[in-house]
Amino acid sequence: MDLLKKIRILADAAKYDVSCSSSGSDRENKNSGIGNASFYGICHSWSEDGRCISLLKILFTNICIYNCSYCVNRCSNDVERALFTPEELADITINFYRRNYIEGLFLSSAVYKSPDYTMELLIKTVKKLREEYNFNGYIHLKAIPGADVNLIRLAGLYADRMSVNIELPSEKSLKLLAPQKTKESIIKPMSFIHNQLMEKSESKKLMRRTDKFVPAGQTTQLIIGATPESDRTILKLSENLYKYYDLKRVYYSAYIPVFNDNNILGMTSPPLLREHRLYQADWLLRYYNFKADELLTEEEPNFDVSLDPKINWAMKNLNLFPVEVNTADYNMLLRVPGIGLRTANRIVKARKAAYLNYDSLKKLGVVLKRAKYFITCNGKYYGECEIETDKIKNKLLPKRNVIEGQLSIFDIDNTLNNLPIIV
Amino acid sequence: MVNYIFDGTFDGLMTVIYEAYYSHQHPNDIFSEINHQINFLGHDVFVSTDIDKSNKVQHAIETKISNKALRNIYYAYLSELESSYMLIYRYIRLGFKIGKKIDYFIQNDIVHEVTKLSQKVRHEAYKMIELIRFKEVKKGLFIAKIHPDYNVLPIIMPHFAERFQDQYFIIHDEKRNLSAVYDKKAWIITDIPLQDISNMKDTEDYEILWKMYHKSISIEERKNLRLQRQHMPKKYWDMLTEKQ
Repeated sequence: MDLLKKIRILADAAKYDVSCSSSGSDRENKNSGIGNASFYGICHSWSEDGRCISLLKILFTNICIYNCSYCVNRCSNDVERALFTPEELADITINFYRRNYIEGLFLSSAVYKSPDYTMELLIKTVKKLREEYNFNGYIHLKAIPGADVNLIRLAGLYADRMSVNIELPSEKSLKLLAPQKTKESIIKPMSFIHNQLMEKSESKKLMRRTDKFVPAGQTTQLIIGATPESDRTILKLSENLYKYYDLKRVYYSAYIPVFNDNNILGMTSPPLLREHRLYQADWLLRYYNFKADELLTEEEPNFDVSLDPKINWAMKNLNLFPVEVNTADYNMLLRVPGIGLRTANRIVKARKAAYLNYDSLKKLGVVLKRAKYFITCNGKYYGECEIETDKIKNKLLPKRNVIEGQLSIFDIDNTLNNLPIIV
Repeated sequence: MVNYIFDGTFDGLMTVIYEAYYSHQHPNDIFSEINHQINFLGHDVFVSTDIDKSNKVQHAIETKISNKALRNIYYAYLSELESSYMLIYRYIRLGFKIGKKIDYFIQNDIVHEVTKLSQKVRHEAYKMIELIRFKEVKKGLFIAKIHPDYNVLPIIMPHFAERFQDQYFIIHDEKRNLSAVYDKKAWIITDIPLQDISNMKDTEDYEILWKMYHKSISIEERKNLRLQRQHMPKKYWDMLTEKQ
């Protein structure tokens, strides 16, 4: 089978994995080899669905022994199958990299023959890249659920980032849709990686040089909308993953029906807006010091998709507003809709130099369209309506009610514009 | 009030700043000689570039204002906008007056303008780092062509030189007829013309594989061409292998 065909089949089979990030590692180009990693990550292209392409995201093979019903690669599905060799993959990676198409490799795989056997193939490929080709670019490796921890340790020495996908947000859904996988087989490698990372950071204190072990940490992915979990369940799960496993990212993937199956809720189009709101809420957890319980309650376990989660929260806590931009502390500024991380930083610095007036807020990057309802500037309120939920909501709701397709982060919430580049 | 004319280089501009300060002659305007037509009415002063004076000014900016200010000035200069030279002059004057505080004095119009211009240049440099596509035109020699709005070659070369230490490469700016050349040791920017650059081809088949990859990784159900264009502006598509 020729390479072109393999790429067609195995890129197509990898496309449902959301992560394509190349951030978090600052691996240097040593020994005058090829490649280095940029700490903030670099995108190199965008596909027609608007998603960034940073890494060569591909499966080693889509030949699978499992039969998970949410997955396009399940063994009972009638699709074309292909299998790379480590040489082929290493060669494509290097040659794409030299042409500046990609930032590195994101290698995943279906479970071929056995979890251990598959893991060994992945390791063989990245070992070749690092040792034979002298490649110092970014490598993201999937930890195959069920693989021996010693193999995962070995893989972690070559990779910048590793991930184990949880996919289904509850054990019940896992049993229903992926009966051959267990919660145990997912959590075990995740906690193993976490423990290794902690061990490394301990030994760094004692030794001058230690080997790098997944310097960019680990991530995971949850499928949204294939099973009936609420936003609250999902967000609480993410919060715990950040807290107990110190994950770098949790990705959310709106479920795209790959074929009709009795197990899966009757759905037609992927819940993209819901996915978008979860990402926004995820950002609030990681960068804005919000707690999942503040954003969603048991009585209202799902987001109002017409408004972003920060506005949702502000609406429920109007008694805290408006805040005076010239005096409010940093943490309160962060909670104002329309003020992001970078803007809050700028405000705190700029008001040392001079009093801020309303016009200068725009220069500092405040999105006044949203912020004006929640702030005062030198004591004056610019919201042009009373501070009441209905009146503000009325002004904030978009004119068009239907928003189609994948949303652009930058249209919906300019506050995200102010984040460091993490893709 | 005089018009200062310099040779268009960054050192030249810094020399102008030096002369303006020490001669106490505030500029009416500052021109690069590349674009300037001699004006018989005004009082033109030609400033010849002096590296020592330039270094002194740069050192003063770094110590008396900040590193960030010097970087903003350099990036604003690379915009090559005629209006940027006077803006830079005003920014430096303000900087020498208020010092490091200038970094967060964004309410001020001059600071805001310089910061905005510097950001635009940095943004385009970053886009180039993302979107440059090399072709292997001969075994081991890689060439890329770009046509950025701003003169970003000096900003992006350190990135590629660090990354591709083991390959010979050239990045050619078609708009300015400049080529940045790396020889596995160091890089230079030169205006020596390259031969046969118009119809260069990749000698290997990886372009075909890349196009196939690019097509296959996209999810049909999430198609969003507007978002794609937002990140990959159409003006750069002729550089992109996957868009040909």
